[in-house]
Amino acid sequence: MSWSLERKLPLFVTILLVAVAITQLTIGYGEVRQASLALADKRLPLATKVLADLFQAGQGRVRITALAKDPAIAAFLRSGGSSGREAALVAMRRVTSDTATNAGLELRDFSGKLLLRTGRFSAADSVYVSPGTDSARYGPLMRRDTTLFIAIAAAVGGGEGKDAERGGGIVQQVARMNLSERTRTTLTGLAGGDVRLLLGNATGDPAPPATVLNSRTPVRYERGETMRASAAPVPGTPWMVVAELPSGVVSAPARAYLTGMAPLALLIVIVGAVIAWWGSRRMTSPLREITTAAEAIAAGNLERRVQVGRQDELGRLARSFNTMAAQVARSLQHSEAMLRGVTETAHDAIIAADTDGLIRFWNPGAERLFGYRTEEVLGKPLTMLMPERFQDAHRLGIRRYVETREARVVGRTVELAGRRKDGTEFPLELSLGAAPLEGGMSFTGVIRDITERKRTQEALQTSNAELEAFSYSVSHDLRAPLRAIHGFARILLEDHHAKLDPEAQRLLGVVDQNTRRMGQLIDDLLAFSRLGRKELAAGPVNMEELAHTVADEVRRTDVERKGSLAIQIDPLPPAHGDRALLGQVMSNLLQNAAKFTRDRAEARVEVGSQRDGGQTVYFVKDNGAGFDARYADKLFGVFQRLHSTEQFDGTGVGLAIVKRIVQRHGGRVWAEGKVDHGATFYFTLPTEEH
Amino acid sequence: MAAAVDILLVEDNANDAELTLRALKQRNLANQVFVCRDGAEALDFFFNGATPVPKVVLLDLKLPKVDGLEVLRRIKDDARTKSIPVVVLTSSREEPDIERAYTLGANSYIVKPVDFEAFARAVSDVGLYWLLLNHPPQ
Repeated sequence: MSWSLERKLPLFVTILLVAVAITQLTIGYGEVRQASLALADKRLPLATKVLADLFQAGQGRVRITALAKDPAIAAFLRSGGSSGREAALVAMRRVTSDTATNAGLELRDFSGKLLLRTGRFSAADSVYVSPGTDSARYGPLMRRDTTLFIAIAAAVGGGEGKDAERGGGIVQQVARMNLSERTRTTLTGLAGGDVRLLLGNATGDPAPPATVLNSRTPVRYERGETMRASAAPVPGTPWMVVAELPSGVVSAPARAYLTGMAPLALLIVIVGAVIAWWGSRRMTSPLREITTAAEAIAAGNLERRVQVGRQDELGRLARSFNTMAAQVARSLQHSEAMLRGVTETAHDAIIAADTDGLIRFWNPGAERLFGYRTEEVLGKPLTMLMPERFQDAHRLGIRRYVETREARVVGRTVELAGRRKDGTEFPLELSLGAAPLEGGMSFTGVIRDITERKRTQEALQTSNAELEAFSYSVSHDLRAPLRAIHGFARILLEDHHAKLDPEAQRLLGVVDQNTRRMGQLIDDLLAFSRLGRKELAAGPVNMEELAHTVADEVRRTDVERKGSLAIQIDPLPPAHGDRALLGQVMSNLLQNAAKFTRDRAEARVEVGSQRDGGQTVYFVKDNGAGFDARYADKLFGVFQRLHSTEQFDGTGVGLAIVKRIVQRHGGRVWAEGKVDHGATFYFTLPTEEH
Repeated sequence: MAAAVDILLVEDNANDAELTLRALKQRNLANQVFVCRDGAEALDFFFNGATPVPKVVLLDLKLPKVDGLEVLRRIKDDARTKSIPVVVLTSSREEPDIERAYTLGANSYIVKPVDFEAFARAVSDVGLYWLLLNHPPQ
């Protein structure tokens, strides 16, 4: 399925916008998530550190150290619990009443045996803390129900050396772990409300995963939910502080970003798609209009134009389209007017037909020639214009041409017969052409009435026949009396020589000479007139070889020459013509050249050729007597001579024959010359073709 | 007509006939020459009566009554006469005449020259050739 531009464009824009939105949201979400994670990872160690410091700075250690230094306590313990019990109790109660968080005090010897205790915390629950010799030490955290207790122990008297001899023991306080409201607030302010702070024993009670306890950087673990956590030991205690943040909390900003941005992106996509659809419609609707107009013009409505209401590229396109349409209409009108002008003023009939042989065009010339008006013949078969005997051949011809392109009449001019509306037949000349038209073929015929020409031709043929009969009788009947005159004059001279005086003999000699000359004239005249009737046997002719043959003949018959004769023959291109007749041309020209150079000491004759446009010009050049250029046009006339018979013999037919032969070949002949400076005879022939 | 005939000359022009005979006479060939003045006479010579067969026929083409080519055709069409050599001796050098003459079976075609010497030479050469050099079937 091929989608229109109008659909494709908005679709493309929408896809693009969706892609951009998704990319943007994905990247943004990742960035925000990464940022909150980094923030959490910064906050968590900070919180643990602060908390650890806070617990370290507890007051309990000072207090228990002070109690351990109390003389009553020391005395009681040094006595091994045997004396001073009341004084020790007093000192202990003083401490107990001082402290709200106090859960109990215990006095033990170094082996851990309980000597005296106060407070609610039961000894069984207590943990024995072995303190250092001179400082208080925290014990592990203890949980009783929901309350967390801690034990702080301090040594009284040394456990070794001189003190050991004196004896001593351990004073241990169990205190309730209690965070004041202020502390909570402070912690919350420091760590943030969403951070869960855990305090526990480093041994793992309550036990956070071991990973967090051993890691210096925040880690992730599952504890009910996915947690991000950081841990730190509380210095001086066996405790650990853990700050943990549920992953949900960490990724909350990213989710918030997503929920905030997604509708916005959707809105952008929708708005973009609508704009693209609108823009595409705005762009394609003029295109659609131009397309419709172009189709209308193609269908023949040349007046169709497009509304132009814009100044942009589409407006320019529409204007260009209108200009083009106007131009097309103008050109068409022009060429139609031209065609009409040509066909209407043509004297000949111009008829066009389609491949079914139906008439599609008919000009006034055709109306005049055939007698039918245009509306009488359009769409009718051509056969109505021809005698019945041609109709089958015509139908066959059209079919053959359409199927095989074999042209017998197409592209040629033929003579046929036509039939007028009134049924009369007349000879016509038809030039038929075929041209492709709208997928088919159009045949155009130019038809000319040749009745008059036929009549002239017939008249010409008659007169030609008469001329032929005439030349036949000239040939036959004129020569017989001539022969008689010559013969009897000779007999007179031969048989009656003795009776004739010298003058009578001279006079008979004149008769003899003139009858010979008359005989020559008749022969030449006949030769000339025969040329007009002889059919040309055309073929390729090797002009160079021909010139050599003729030149040999001329050299052989060249007599009465004083000096030398040089005939030079250049390379000559071949010609297309009648070899015998062209030989006659060459012979006449060379004989002439030989004749008119007879009194030259060094006679030179050259046969050559040159190109002139598309044709070949052959020439025969001599350095003989030449001629007066003023009479150049007379040279080729029958019996025309520019020299006296005493100077150069001849009947004056040779060049006329040359001219006739060259003209019959479709060529041209001319001469250049100057008296005593030789002559050049030129002739053109069609070059050898096919 | 019983005398033997060497040459049958068919010629309507008396001058040409005289010139021909003279040329033959100079070579001593004119003793047994028979002259017909038109085509009809020539046909009579061959086909009406038992006439000796000539060694050669010199035939002009332009003849009164029956045309020379017709005479030629009749001679060459007939089994009795078709082996007789016929030399066309005419003023015409028209190509169609020459072609038709040979088609009909002419043995030679000679154009009479206007020049008397040339004419006399041609006639006597023809006479010599056909009478002395040529060997007809017996």
